Amino acid sequence: MTASSLPRPPRPRGRVLDARLHLLSRQVLDRHDVPVTTIDDLAFSPVPREGAHDREEVTGARTYVVDALLTGAALVVRVFGGRAPTSVWERVGWQHVSDVGTAIHLGVDGDELDVTWTERWVRDKIIRHIPGGRHDPE
Amino acid sequence: MILSDLLDLPVHDATERLGYCVDARLVLDAPVVGPLAGARLHGLVVSPRTGTSFMGYERSGLTAPWPLAQWLRHRHRGTFFLMWEDVLRVTTDRIVVVTDATRYDPSPTD
Amino acid sequence: MNRLLGVALGVLTAIGGFLDIGDLVTNAVVGSRFGLSLVWVVIVGIVGICVFAQMSGRVAAVSGRATFEIIRERLGPRAGGANLVASFLINLLTLTAEVGGIALALQLASSVEPRLWMPLAALAVWLVLWRVKFKILENVTGLVGLCLIGFGVALFLLGPDWGELLSAATHPHVPTTEGHAVYWYYAIALFGAAMTPYEVFFFSSGAVEEKWTVKDLGQSRINVLVGFPLGGLLSIAIAACATVVLLPRHIEVAALSQIVLPVAQAGGKLLLAVVILGIVAATFGAALETSLSSGYTLAQFFGWSWGKFRRPERASRFHLTMIVTLIIGLGILMTGVDPVAVTEYSVVFSAVALPLTYLPILIVANDPGYMGEHVNSRSMNVLGVVYLTVILVAALAAIPLMIVTGAGR
Repeated sequence: MTASSLPRPPRPRGRVLDARLHLLSRQVLDRHDVPVTTIDDLAFSPVPREGAHDREEVTGARTYVVDALLTGAALVVRVFGGRAPTSVWERVGWQHVSDVGTAIHLGVDGDELDVTWTERWVRDKIIRHIPGGRHDPE
Repeated sequence: MILSDLLDLPVHDATERLGYCVDARLVLDAPVVGPLAGARLHGLVVSPRTGTSFMGYERSGLTAPWPLAQWLRHRHRGTFFLMWEDVLRVTTDRIVVVTDATRYDPSPTD
Repeated sequence: MNRLLGVALGVLTAIGGFLDIGDLVTNAVVGSRFGLSLVWVVIVGIVGICVFAQMSGRVAAVSGRATFEIIRERLGPRAGGANLVASFLINLLTLTAEVGGIALALQLASSVEPRLWMPLAALAVWLVLWRVKFKILENVTGLVGLCLIGFGVALFLLGPDWGELLSAATHPHVPTTEGHAVYWYYAIALFGAAMTPYEVFFFSSGAVEEKWTVKDLGQSRINVLVGFPLGGLLSIAIAACATVVLLPRHIEVAALSQIVLPVAQAGGKLLLAVVILGIVAATFGAALETSLSSGYTLAQFFGWSWGKFRRPERASRFHLTMIVTLIIGLGILMTGVDPVAVTEYSVVFSAVALPLTYLPILIVANDPGYMGEHVNSRSMNVLGVVYLTVILVAALAAIPLMIVTGAGR
């Protein structure tokens, strides 16, 4: 009954993270600790292998690596189930991730990423038109 | 493949259902592409139930707050970890693993 | 010396900022109908808000994460999303009540129709949110809110029989004129008025705004453990004033004018003016806090950039949310609804929403991943779980009681 009666798995050679427990729904912060988005899903890609083609079914014989953090697909889908088409997802490549703690830190500026476009849109179309929007509060 | 393709899917071997995939374990030991090492899919955490396992009480040592931690632990007793290599295939409605795949302790080793 | 001033400022701001329109209306209504027989609920509520404000402040200071981020991270999209919808709507209701409260208080001062004040009030709230620093906005409304001590002064001037008041407070019973169901309905309303959810969102996000660290925990503890109970004492004073003046004459509380009647009677126009100033400050402060909470809840749930410490163009969606919620709240008020009625509903629905807010805080306060060595102590956990049970019972009983009693008739 208790987990302690099961054998321990072979010791991994790097830091261990559980995807749902440690990554999903977590905050993504940019280089200056400015919030970028939340992680809604993860994209895996198979490690390239001789003679294999991309459409092959998912199997334990191939190694999968996290390719990108996914965000933006409707909350509706995450709540009610189903799978949004991949074109709707917005990606933050794993190469941008610099640290994983209670939030995920990136090594780049938020503005450089596509994923912050709604923030920039609201900023440019609305907030910048109201006087005082560009100044620090006094 | 995306993570949601794996989560909450029933896990079967040739004869029976073993449980549901409630999490995917990653290890940062793949080739470096940026500041961090790549995150390799190491295996799956399988639980008799879906639902509240995202809280992780059955995997960590947390015993507080009582009675919540104990109740959630109890709901997910029998959770175990499977190596990714033991997965035969992932379809849209189930994950099929080899028969007699070794079941490991689900607490993350560090 | 400077440190002592800082501590004093913190405590005074906490006292003056504690009351909002919900406390004003609910305590006055209860005092005028039940006397002091529900004071025990206020005390239970005060202890509860102290426990959870302190806990959420500690979580924010140690982990740097505010409440709604934690709700999203620990409850996941489904439960978190439901939590968001409920919390946001109730917050909106409370915001509407507070802006309405500002207008009602200004009406008392000027005899100008409240609906003319409402757009001005909403605009003023937005302007402060847009341009004024967090610390200043908190301190000014908190300090001016101290004028509400006028209720305590009024109570003294009324010269009541203290022994009788004390005995009524310590021997709670259901008055013969009211039924049991109504008694418990108002108990829940008082509880919701004391333990408002937006207080927790605001407090923990404020901790992140002011960049609290572990070193600031001592100050925050003093603010909460000294300031909140003293603020609670003020709400008891409001109830006591109503008990002494309104209850014997069976005066029903339907408007602000009845709530301040004891003050006018005790101290004349001068004391009344001071108290009205206090009400304006308290409701204005609460309107600021609930607007900020609406921004905090939405922005933290979706992972947007947020915070008054950032210039508006660096937290655009956060500011847009606050603008939109203020407009919606104003719209609701302009349809002619009675702000006092809105207030009475908002406190009961606040009680319903409490478990959604407090459970995640209790969970994360125990998680060493977020808290390191500052996880809850055993005694804090016992308190937390006891209160969570009380909160759950109140939340479940609220709507049935509302239906059975016709919202307290």
